[in-house]
This record gives sequence, C-alpha cells and structure tokens, in this order.
Amino acid sequence: MNDIFQCGDSAALVAYLYDECAPDEQALIAAHIKGCAACASEIDALSATRRTLAAWTPPDLALGFRITREHEPRPAKILEPKIAWWRAPLPAWAQAAAALVIFAAGLSVGAIRNTNTAPPQTAAAPTVATEVNTQPATASVTPDDLAKLEKQLRSEMAQRTSSSPATQVAARGSDDTLLQQVKGLIEESEANQRRDFTLRMVELAGNVENQRRVDLASVRQQMGLQQGAIGTELRQQREVLGRLVSERTR
Amino acid sequence: MTTTDEELVARAQGGDVESFNQLIVRWERPIYALAYRVIGKEEDARDVCQDAFLRAYRALPGFKGQAKFSSWLYRIALNLCRDWIRRQRRAPVSQLPEDADAIEMASETGPVESIEDLVARRELSAIVEEAMSELSEEQRTAIILKEYHGMTFQEIADMQGCPLSTVKTRLYQGLSLLRRRLEQQGQLTPELVKRV
Repeated sequence: MNDIFQCGDSAALVAYLYDECAPDEQALIAAHIKGCAACASEIDALSATRRTLAAWTPPDLALGFRITREHEPRPAKILEPKIAWWRAPLPAWAQAAAALVIFAAGLSVGAIRNTNTAPPQTAAAPTVATEVNTQPATASVTPDDLAKLEKQLRSEMAQRTSSSPATQVAARGSDDTLLQQVKGLIEESEANQRRDFTLRMVELAGNVENQRRVDLASVRQQMGLQQGAIGTELRQQREVLGRLVSERTR
Repeated sequence: MTTTDEELVARAQGGDVESFNQLIVRWERPIYALAYRVIGKEEDARDVCQDAFLRAYRALPGFKGQAKFSSWLYRIALNLCRDWIRRQRRAPVSQLPEDADAIEMASETGPVESIEDLVARRELSAIVEEAMSELSEEQRTAIILKEYHGMTFQEIADMQGCPLSTVKTRLYQGLSLLRRRLEQQGQLTPELVKRV
C-alpha cells in the first residue's frame, strides 16, 4: 500500500475496516477519518453492515459425520460357473439382430420364389393353416389323416412352384403395381412360411406318433419278457414244492 | 492439551481413522456453515459438507501439509460449492419459508430468547440472506470467508485464486451493495450506523 492515503481509497478503507493494514497506515487513515466526514460516514455504514451480517446464522442441523472404516471392504467376488462361449446366452442386441437376419432371409426367399410363381392366392394358405391348427396332434389324429394332409400340402406347394410368372412380370409397369407386387411378395412369403411351418408341425406330429407306437411296442415286449420270466420261475417253484410234498407223503 | 490439526492429520495419514474423525468433529460445523451460506440449502449444504470430508479423507495420503489443513478443507468445500452452483444455475441462497412457525422456531432454541426476539432475529437473518443472494458468487464468497470464517485477505486470495487487491475490491463492493440493500429494507437506520 502507498504511504500516502488518498481520500476515498476503497482498498485502504476496507483494510482499515478489517484492521488489516500496517500500524503506520492504520494511524494515517484514522487521522484522515477524524477530519473527513465522507470517509467517516463510509466506515460507519460499512461497520453497521458488518454488524447486521452477524444476524445471519446457519440452521442448527445435527451433523455427526464419521468415517466408519479405514478401507471399504471390497465386494465379494461372485463365482459363476464357466460357460462355454457357444452355450452362453446371447445379449439382447445379438438376439434382435439374429431375429432380423432370419426375418430378412425369409422375406428374400419368399421374394425369390415369387419371381417364378403366379400372383399369390392368399386365401388358401390361411385356410389350410387354420384347419391344421384346429386339429391338434393328439391320439384322435390317425396316421392316415396326417399322411393325407401332408400329401395335400406337398401337392399345393408343387402347384405353386410350377405356375407361370407371366402375370407378375407384366404388371411391373407402374409404381402401384410395383407396390402391389411387393405386398403380394410379402404375403406370399408369409403364406409360404406358414405353410412350411404347418408342414413341419405335421411331420413332427407324425414322428411323435410313430415314436409313441415304437415305444409302446417296446414296453409291451419288455412286459411280455418279464411276465414270461416270472411264469417260468413260478413253474419251477411249483415243481420243487410238488416234489417236496410227494417226498413227504412217501 | 489440545491436539493440533497437524498432529491429527499425521496420525490419520498413518491409518488412525479416529484421528480423522476428531478433525471432522472440529471442522464440520464451520464447513457446514460455509456451505450453507454459499449455496443456501440446508440439505444440500449437508451433502456438500459430508462430501468434502469424504474427499479430504480419500485425498489425505496426498496432503503434504503445504497449507493448513483447514485451508485445504475449505478449498475442497468451496470447490464442491462451486460445482453445486454450476449444476443448479439458479439463485443459490434460499429464503426463509413464509410459513415458518414462530412456536416451532421457539422450540428450536433455549428458553433465554423470547419468541419476539427470536422472530425478529429470524427475520433479520432472512433479510441478510436475501441481500447476500443478490451479490455475485465471488463477492458473496469473499464476504463469507472474511466475516464468518475470519480469514485474512491473503488466505481469501489463495482460496479464490485471485490477487489481494481483487479480494479487497470484492469485499468493498459487496459490502456497499449489502449496505444499500439493508438501507432499503430499513435495517440500517442512522442510529445503528452511528453506534460505531
């Protein structure tokens, strides 16, 4: 700070107010204030402001912070069984991507098929699917029924693949027809997928039925063998008993 | 004989948690008061205070004693307050609730102070809070550190990272603004001013 105090020097006044100036400077300012009403008034007002500030008290909150441990214990390591990477469950994004790829592949297969087929006959496929779905593969379905249905589906598919694409090719003139075609392709693809699915379900039901029969036959055979063995044993025991009784009577 | 901060810090650095807890007991009230006055929210100030001690504890191995422990702690708390203010982006000083109940307030203090005095003190406190909230963050912090924590100009300059002259300017301008505001509110009467 300068040795010569200038009237109105705010920095010097603040230093004086907080009693943070050198003793000689303190005396200099004190002497100035005695003769300067403006600086005296300023110091009085700032001092009164400081006194008022003392009224501002923070709320009396209970604090009581404590550090309870030197080191937080590390969380226990969770041991998980090691799963081979090919058996580990896929993350959701990978599953979604796989589903998308499968769907796209299905669409493209349908589209390829439709380039060589007639316009879709959308009414027929759902009817078949409905019919199949309403007939559950229970014991009431005979193998003949299944074979008949399979034959029907196969013939229908063969008809479709052999039909002419002429009408579709001719219809590719305008956007509307293109849109119609795309819609048709999608519907056709969906119908194909439904049909394939139905066919597979029918095949599966047939396989299950065949397997059931084989199992039943096997069980019967096993039962027969066991019954035979038990019968033989019983016969032998009866013979031994007969022999013992005859010996006693003698 | 009272153990000094430096001794407690040394013990805490050696792994004695209780020594650090003694430092907390010693400094939690001033740090909380600082946080409350700077940010103006009771619970947030409490959180800032807690966070300041937690950070100080974690950073204790790196504390080499270049500054006083209290100055270091104040700096941590002030930095957290600044972060809080930046996050909030709004007037940092809270108001006394309008529906503050005088009876409830009376029960918070001892029986010496009458309810009238208590209400008057609370009102004045609210006026000061409001006036302080109108200052800039730098002016408010400088006044808080000087008035309520008794720091020197140099310590405030170190804390705020500015020259000494800037601290004096902030204090002078801040006090002048407060003075005007308090005069407008009728809190600085000529009688009060003349008491000096």
